[in-house]
Amino acid sequence: MTDMDIRLTVNGRLQHAKAGVMRTLLTVLREDFGLTGTKDGCSSGDCGACVVVMNGQVVNSCMVLAAQADGSQVTTVEGLASNGELHPLQRAFGGTWAFQCGFCTPGMLVSCHALLSSNDNPSREEVLTAIAGNFCRCTGYQGVVNAVQQAAAELRSANAEAVLQHD
Amino acid sequence: MIDSGAVGRWVSAPGAYDIVTGKARYCPDLDFPGMLIGKLLYSPHARACIRRLDVTAARMIPGVIAVLTHADIPGENSYLYAEPDQPLLVVDEVRFQGDAVAAVAAIDEQTADAALRAIDVEYQALDGIFDPLAAMQAGAGQVVAGKDNIMMHKTYRTGDVAAALASAHVIVENTYRTQWAEHAFLETEGGVGLVDADGGVTVYSSCQAPHRDRMQIARALGLPESRVRVITPYIGGAFGGKDEAHVQIHAALLAHAARRPVRLIRGRRESILTHVKRHPFIVHCITAATRDGRLLAVKARAIVDAGPYSNATHEVLNKFGEFIGGPYTVKNLEIEKIAVRTNNPITGAFRGFGAPQAAFVYESQMDDLARKLGMDPLEIRLLNGVDTGTRMYTGVVVREGKAMKASLRRAAEMMGWQQRGELGRQPATHLRRGWGMATILKGSGMGRGLPDHAAVLLEMHRDGSVVLQSGAADMGQGIVTVLAQLAAESLGVEMSSVHVVRADTAQAPDAGASCASRQVMVSGNAVLRAAVPIRDSLLQVAAEKTGVARDRLVLHGGRLHVDGQAHDLTVAELARRALFRGYPLQSEGRYELEYPADAPEVTYRYSQEVFQFCTQIAQVLVDCETGQVAVERLVAVHDAGKMINPGGVYGQIEGGVAQGIGYALTEELRVTEGHTLNASLENYVIPMALDIPELEMDVLEMPEPLGAPLGAKGIAESPIIPTAPAIRNAILDAIGRPLYQLPMTAERVLSALDAAPCADPA
Ligand code: FES
Ligand code: FES
Repeated sequence: MTDMDIRLTVNGRLQHAKAGVMRTLLTVLREDFGLTGTKDGCSSGDCGACVVVMNGQVVNSCMVLAAQADGSQVTTVEGLASNGELHPLQRAFGGTWAFQCGFCTPGMLVSCHALLSSNDNPSREEVLTAIAGNFCRCTGYQGVVNAVQQAAAELRSANAEAVLQHD
Repeated sequence: MIDSGAVGRWVSAPGAYDIVTGKARYCPDLDFPGMLIGKLLYSPHARACIRRLDVTAARMIPGVIAVLTHADIPGENSYLYAEPDQPLLVVDEVRFQGDAVAAVAAIDEQTADAALRAIDVEYQALDGIFDPLAAMQAGAGQVVAGKDNIMMHKTYRTGDVAAALASAHVIVENTYRTQWAEHAFLETEGGVGLVDADGGVTVYSSCQAPHRDRMQIARALGLPESRVRVITPYIGGAFGGKDEAHVQIHAALLAHAARRPVRLIRGRRESILTHVKRHPFIVHCITAATRDGRLLAVKARAIVDAGPYSNATHEVLNKFGEFIGGPYTVKNLEIEKIAVRTNNPITGAFRGFGAPQAAFVYESQMDDLARKLGMDPLEIRLLNGVDTGTRMYTGVVVREGKAMKASLRRAAEMMGWQQRGELGRQPATHLRRGWGMATILKGSGMGRGLPDHAAVLLEMHRDGSVVLQSGAADMGQGIVTVLAQLAAESLGVEMSSVHVVRADTAQAPDAGASCASRQVMVSGNAVLRAAVPIRDSLLQVAAEKTGVARDRLVLHGGRLHVDGQAHDLTVAELARRALFRGYPLQSEGRYELEYPADAPEVTYRYSQEVFQFCTQIAQVLVDCETGQVAVERLVAVHDAGKMINPGGVYGQIEGGVAQGIGYALTEELRVTEGHTLNASLENYVIPMALDIPELEMDVLEMPEPLGAPLGAKGIAESPIIPTAPAIRNAILDAIGRPLYQLPMTAERVLSALDAAPCADPA
C-alpha cells in the first residue's frame, strides 16, 4: 500500500502530506499541519465541528478523503484573521456570547464567514440556514445570529467608507 | 463595591481570543513528544461472563507499548466518587454495553486499533435483566452478584396524605414516563496522561471536578494524591456528563504503564455507549385539590432504571423527591423513590439532576388539574405559588421567593397570555395552535449537610497584574469569566489585568465540582474574600503616600480615586510600593455556604435552600396529520439573583431551553435488551439551528441572602427544567389531549390524537 503524496494550499500556504487510504482532510489538517482549530465532534459528517472551506465550498472535512483534497485551496479557522488582525466576525463572536465552550466555534465561524462572502446583509433565517449543519450543544444559536449580523453591519459600513475614500 | 466596573456588564470571556482563532486547546488538541494513542476495548454483549482474556498477541504487535487488563491495575480497580462500584476494567463479568475490558496504548491510531482486534476474549453471553419492574420482583436474579437489585428505596412523608386525599374535591392521577437522554457535549470525553521523571503523574482532563479526579486517579494508581496533578485544558461542554470520571483514569493508567504520554479520546459512538445518561423515570402521581384549586396533597412513586452501577443515582432521586411538589405550598406530601439495577446504560448527573423529570410530572399535573377545575393555568399557579417566607414541604423556609410569582406574571405579560387566542387556534384545517406554561424551582449548591466550599488564591504582581488560581472547572459555562470580573472589580483593575489560570490541582486549592449551579456562589464569594487583604495593602500604601484617610480612597479602573476623583497614582504604582514595604499582595480566600441553624426543622435530607425560580411559556403549532410539533415562540423568565455576567446568564438560558426543546420533542436513546440503537449524532436527534425559535428572555435579579455578599444564585440548571412541561401543556391546549411520556414525538402525538382526533378548538 503506497501512500499518495498530496499538495494543497491551506490558508494561503502550500503544504504537503501523505494521503493514506483512510486518511481524511481533517486528520491531515490536525495531525500533519498542526491546525487543531478544526475540531472533530463525530467523524461522521453529523456535527459540523470540522467545517472548512475547500475550493470555495463549505465542507465537513471529516468526510473528505485527504486524496480528494489534492491540489485544493483550503481555509480553516486559523486563516480568518489577517496579519494578526481578527476578522470582524471573530470579534463579534467574542462580544455576543456566540459560544460557551467554544468547541463548535471554529466550524461555526467558517460557515458564517462563507455566508458573509456571498451575502453582506443576511437575515436571521439566512444565518440559521448557513449554520444548519453546525451543531452547538451549549447555546441556542441566538448569539451566532447576533454576531453575524453585527459583523455584516460593520463590514458594510467599512465598505461604504472605502468607496467614499476611493471617490 | 460590586455595583460598577466589570460586574453586571456584558463582557467577553477571557478565552474569547483563543477560541475564535482556533488556538484554544482541548484534550484532543494536546500533543507531547513521544505521545501514544490510547483506546479501550468494550464487550459486544450487554451482559456476559468473560471465560478467557488473552492479550499476548496484542502485546507482540510492533508499536503497541502497553496493554492493560484488570490484573495490571496497581491500585483499586473500581471507581465513582461517591460509591466506587464500577470497575475500570472488568474482572469476570460485563454488566452493560459500556463496560471496558482492556486498555491499549500504541504509537498511532491504526496500531491501537490493531491491538484491540488482537485481544482474544471469550465471552459467554448471559441473560440480561433489562426491565426495571421485573428486576424488582423476587426471583429476578441479581444484576450484580451479592447485591440487591433495588439500589435505593426511600420514602419521605410530611403531613397527612390519606386524610387530605379523602377530603379533596378533585384528584388527578397519572403515570408518566421519561427517557434516557444523552448530554452530547460536542467534545467527547478525553484525557491525556503524562509521567514525570520521578514517577508522579499529570493528567489533562476534560472534567467538571479536577480535585476529585485527582483522588480517583491516585486510588487507581496506588499513589498518594500528592503525586498526582490534574489540569483542565479548554473543555468542550459537560452538562453533568463529565461530573463523574470517564477515561482520565485509564489515560493515567496507560501513561504510567507505558512511561510515555498517552492521549485517550472517546469516539462519538463510544461516548454515547459508555457515559451516564439522564435517568428514565416511571412516575405514578396523585395530586389533590380543593374546589377552588388549592393544592391539598401530592403523592408520588418513582421508579428509575439505574443501570448496573451507582453513579449519581442517589443524588438524582434525592433531587427528584425534593422538587416533586413544585414551587407550591403543599402541606401533605408523600414521595416513594426506588432505584433499580439493570443491565441497561448507566445513568447519572445531567443538568438539573432529577428536577427536569419532577417538573414534567408536577407541571403536567397542574394543567390537568386546572382543566378539571375549569381554571386558567396562570391563575392556579399564582394561587398555590410559594413566596418569600413560605415553608416548603421539605421544611425549608424560602428566603427569597418573590421571583416565583414575579416570573409567572412577567412571562405571561411577554407572551400576551390573556390575548393568546387572538392569533388563531386553527390556522388551517389540520393545524392547531396552543399555549402552555411551566414554572419551577431548582436549588443551587450541594444542599444542607453536605460540604459546600471553595477556595481561591489571588496574587497581584508589582506591575498591577493579577493572577487568580481557582480549582473550579470551566466547561464552557463561564466561571472563569465571572471570577475574572469579580477579581477585577474587587481590586479596582481592568478585567484584562486579571489572568485566571484554568484549574490545575498543583496550584489551585480545591473548589469542589462545577455542578449544582454552585460555583458562582462559592468560588465567587471566595474571590471577594481573597481580595480584601490585597486591597487593604494597596489602600494602606495609598493613604501613607497621599496623607488622605483610607475611607476616602477607592481603587477603580487601575487607578486610585480620592473622593471620587481620579488620582495620579495607579494600582501598579501602589502594588510596587506595597511590595517594597512588605505588605501582602497574595491571599487565599475561602468561602463555605453556611446554612443558618435550622429552625424550623428541615425534614428532607440534603435540601438545597437557594432557589432559582423561573417560568417558561411556549406557543406551539401541532400538525394533526403528521403529529409534528413546531415551537413557534418561547418566553423564558429566570431569576439569577445578582447577575455578574449578563452574556453568560442569557447564554445559559438559551442553551438550556435548546436542550429542553430536544428533551421535550426528539431526544431519546433507544435501548433494546441493553443495546443502544441510536449511538450517533445522526440518529439521536438534537435540535439544530433551524429547530429553535427566537427566544424571548428576561432576567429578574432577586439577590440571594444566603449567598451574601455576592447575592448571585447560579443559573446553569433551571433553564432546561420547565421547557418540556411548558411544551406538553401547549400541546394539550392545542389538541385537547394530554401526553404523559417524553419525548413527545410525532408518533406519540399521533397516537394521542388517534384516541380522539383533533378536537375543534375551544
Ligand atoms: S466531525 Fe465532521 S461533521 Fe462532525
Ligand atoms: S459553544 Fe459549546 S458546542 Fe457550541
